[in-house]
Amino acid sequence: MNDSQWARYEVFEQERAGAPHRNAGSVHASDAEMALGNARDVFVRRPNCFSLWVVPEAAVFAKTAQEVARDDWYAAPAADAPRETYLVFSKKGQPARETFVEYVGEVQAATPAHALRVALETFPPQDVFVWWVAPERRVLKSEQADAASMFAPARAKKYRMHTFYPVEPIMRELKSAQGMLDNSEKTTDND
Amino acid sequence: MNDTLLARNVLALADDSLLLGHRNSEWAGHAPILEEDIAFANLALDELGHAQLWYELHQELTGREPDETIFFRDAADYLNVQLVELPKGDWAFSMLRQYLFDAYENVLLAHLVNSSNARVAEIAAKQRPEEMYHLRHTSNWVKRLGLGAAESHRRMTAALNELWAYALQLFAPLENAQALTDANILPDPRALQTEWENQVGAHLTASALAVPAARAPRAKSRSEHTAHLRELLTEMQEVARSEVYGVEW
Amino acid sequence: MTETEQLQAFEARIARGEKIEPGDWMPDAYRQQLIRMISQHAHSEIIGMLPEGVWLQRAPTLRRKLVLLAKVQDEGGHGQYLYHAAETLGVTRAEMIDALLAGRAKYSSVFNYPTLTWADIGMIGWLVDGAAIQNQTMLAHCSYGPYARAMVRICAEETFHKKQGMEQIIRYTRGTPRQKQMAQDALNRWWWPSLMMFGPHDATSPNSAQLIRWGIKTKTNDELRQDFVNKMVSDFHAVGLTIPDPDLYYDASSGNWISGEINWDEFWRVVKGDGPCNAERLQARREAQENGAWVREALAAYAAARGEG
Repeated sequence: MNDSQWARYEVFEQERAGAPHRNAGSVHASDAEMALGNARDVFVRRPNCFSLWVVPEAAVFAKTAQEVARDDWYAAPAADAPRETYLVFSKKGQPARETFVEYVGEVQAATPAHALRVALETFPPQDVFVWWVAPERRVLKSEQADAASMFAPARAKKYRMHTFYPVEPIMRELKSAQGMLDNSEKTTDND
Repeated sequence: MNDTLLARNVLALADDSLLLGHRNSEWAGHAPILEEDIAFANLALDELGHAQLWYELHQELTGREPDETIFFRDAADYLNVQLVELPKGDWAFSMLRQYLFDAYENVLLAHLVNSSNARVAEIAAKQRPEEMYHLRHTSNWVKRLGLGAAESHRRMTAALNELWAYALQLFAPLENAQALTDANILPDPRALQTEWENQVGAHLTASALAVPAARAPRAKSRSEHTAHLRELLTEMQEVARSEVYGVEW
Repeated sequence: MTETEQLQAFEARIARGEKIEPGDWMPDAYRQQLIRMISQHAHSEIIGMLPEGVWLQRAPTLRRKLVLLAKVQDEGGHGQYLYHAAETLGVTRAEMIDALLAGRAKYSSVFNYPTLTWADIGMIGWLVDGAAIQNQTMLAHCSYGPYARAMVRICAEETFHKKQGMEQIIRYTRGTPRQKQMAQDALNRWWWPSLMMFGPHDATSPNSAQLIRWGIKTKTNDELRQDFVNKMVSDFHAVGLTIPDPDLYYDASSGNWISGEINWDEFWRVVKGDGPCNAERLQARREAQENGAWVREALAAYAAARGEG
């Protein structure tokens, strides 16, 4: 086997109860259990996480609106093919911040392409730029019982927050004392 | 009552966490995969944070500030176990050391949260969630390295044989500590050891790693150190001691 | 659609402010430029852990030790986010790491300079992270979605890196004579390498025009560098440090601080691998990769035996 960086798992982060799970990025891991831990260590160095999901990148069926518009991705499943639950994610609009695809709901389908077809009929497709579907059985979710040990500790590490270093008032004071303050710096923070 | 005795025991807890965090920080930028660079740094940050909490309690008991205690104290006065002063070794050695220590901290903190000393109980309660996560992380690693491949099994076995007697020192009490156990401030180290050996033994066995036969700790007293500690402190204290204590950094 | 129509539609999307996402049509040159830029950026974060990392064991207070470890860890995290962004373009992390270790990939030349005293840690935070933030704030508006999102996350976290550095240097300028001297000495050594971080002059930067046209960058190297110089000169003057540039002057008509010429011979020498620490940095990464091989194999074998991974 080649020296590998292991498989890639997509990571979905929920900032607070009730908020949708949003794709945060991905982690490399040898298996799902390790991926969930890596997701915690990579994406929860700072507070604001309520729950994490990880899913192997290979299990995600992803199409941009541009790709969906082409007709080359869909083949109908056999009528008697067994159905299973797929989670559906979409990127809606052109958000200015870091939001990418977020969880919108689930559908029952036989194949990933079928799941996407059902998703397009189930969820309003207007203004959606990216669709992702993934079978729920491939998604590993953090347990609520573990939230205290997985997510709460980040809150104690205040030194990771820039607000821990009140340097702007010192700089303003120094510049003011030396008549160096220009107008923009009199009113706003310089970062 | 018992303040001096408690201070000495708290200092031992602080020194253990400090030096383990310090050693593990040596992996930053050198770990086997990027995700683990980040994860292992988290473990180190947590240990350093736990040390800080114990040094603060030590200050409440003695008046000595944490940075003075850390940077202006010589090796002979450090009260850590030798386990944490050993060089980082290979990944098997560092991971297994962290696992053995995490397992110890988990059984220890489960008792300390019920300490009759309110500050000890409060600090233990702060540390416990992090230590639970540590144990989960390092248990996962130990199992995978133990069962993964012939090479990883060989390295884990070598590390375990080296580390075991050092780890047993975690349960060797400081002199006169019985008074603190009697006052329900600290748990009975023999009870701790039994719990630890049961948990660790089961997990190591499930990871195809044979528990070593050694029964005696590598060192009897927390005042005994290897030459590694002096080297570690020389480096750690170099910048701080380039100025007198009290200069702000 | 013809290739020309696709290109027009693509450029119209960028003009409308839409993000390009993995899977969308993009010109091959756009993909290649992004892979080059993002992987270089990722490598810079990873190599950037090393010069600061050697001071983790010598931080002079427990607080400084925590802060520096958190910062070095963040740099690993930022490399991680960036490799992810590049991976969405079809290159694997293993390929990118191979390119780095084989000496085929570039990374920011600033990390090939040595950290000689503790004050370098503060100066890197203020100056080098300050320069990085200048660049990254612009890249947060990049037309490629995954890169822009990585930048948003990184900028939010990196403000702490700069401020902890400022806090240190401000303190040392008011500290003992030795601390003051250390701070000035660190500025003397890091000033020019940090100006070089913005890259060659626009006139000799072959990719610049296309990068701007496609919304990957919104400012040129020289514009970013000028903004940075203006900000830093004023800050360092305020704390009583001297900029190590005898030709530096204030141009009242433009409101700019005009710096002397960068030593471009040195710049190209370091970029091409002949800086003070290039060999040492790559060697450290190669050792980590080699020493970790058995670990990665063991976990892969564990997963394979259980039908995972």
